Amino acid sequence: MKVTVRFFARFGELLGNNREIEAREGISVADLVKEAASGNKAGYDTIFDEEGAFRDFVIVMRNKKRIRTQDAGSIQVGEGDEIAVFPPVAGG
Amino acid sequence: MLFGEEGQEQLQDATIFIAGAGGLGSPVSIYLAVLGVGTLIIADNDRVDQTNLNRQILYRDQDIGRRKAAVAGERLQEVNPDIMVKAVDATIDQHTVSSLTRDADGIVDALDDFPTRYLLNKAALEKEIPLFHGGISGFFGQATTILPGKTPCLRCIIPRPPPAEVFPVAGVTAGFIGLIQATEVCKYLLCRGDLLAGRLLLWDGMQGRIEEIPVETDPDCEACAGKYKGRS
Repeated sequence: MKVTVRFFARFGELLGNNREIEAREGISVADLVKEAASGNKAGYDTIFDEEGAFRDFVIVMRNKKRIRTQDAGSIQVGEGDEIAVFPPVAGG
Repeated sequence: MLFGEEGQEQLQDATIFIAGAGGLGSPVSIYLAVLGVGTLIIADNDRVDQTNLNRQILYRDQDIGRRKAAVAGERLQEVNPDIMVKAVDATIDQHTVSSLTRDADGIVDALDDFPTRYLLNKAALEKEIPLFHGGISGFFGQATTILPGKTPCLRCIIPRPPPAEVFPVAGVTAGFIGLIQATEVCKYLLCRGDLLAGRLLLWDGMQGRIEEIPVETDPDCEACAGKYKGRS
């Protein structure tokens, strides 16, 4: 099934902003994002910690609706879904 | 007059606290000054450094080494002699936040760290005044307007602090996000238009794209959970 993963800001610089992905049925949001980020270690490490969990500041949206990153491992991706991964920025 | 006599009086009667006189604080304060916001309180505890000058447009080369609060106060008063400017050379912390925001009708978040932003968020919740949030890095930025009791608070939206920025800020990004914050203040004081309430605006300057994402109250929020239960 076709899905889109969108990386914003610094994540997008490292991983590409829009990624069209042919994903396997039943894949979770967390695993989809890991696969999308796996090609770039710096990008992956910016999003995930050493245990492979989302870093706690990362915001994940599924079809414009925010999901809790701790639930992303159990939420399945559906055909045509858009997953957005966003880092809030701290500078001023 | 764009806002009419009544609108200009509403602006004249308002007091806005601007937390930080750096990249965001510079454009926010200059535009609120020329807008005619009657009292501006601006706080910063730093000195002007040469590396600030690409984005902190309150300052000039000859200001290097001077206290930012002192320079900001002078410059804003030059920009509009008809308003009251209170420039405070102070660190915003748990001991000072209450007195700094005491008279404010709204708080502009022009800081560069989240722990202190959370203090502003708490002050806004307690005083039930809006918090105009902005954050920037490189060519990226975000902004939202928090209305206590009506929208998610800053901690609902960003519950854990992002790491301190290691990437320099492009001056234009500070200008862009700062002017969104100043526009929000203007609309709020004039009761006009639609605020960025319950919406987080994301700016990607490199892509030339603005996105917005809806944000929701976190029932387990450390800052506001239960505080506004039963209110709209």
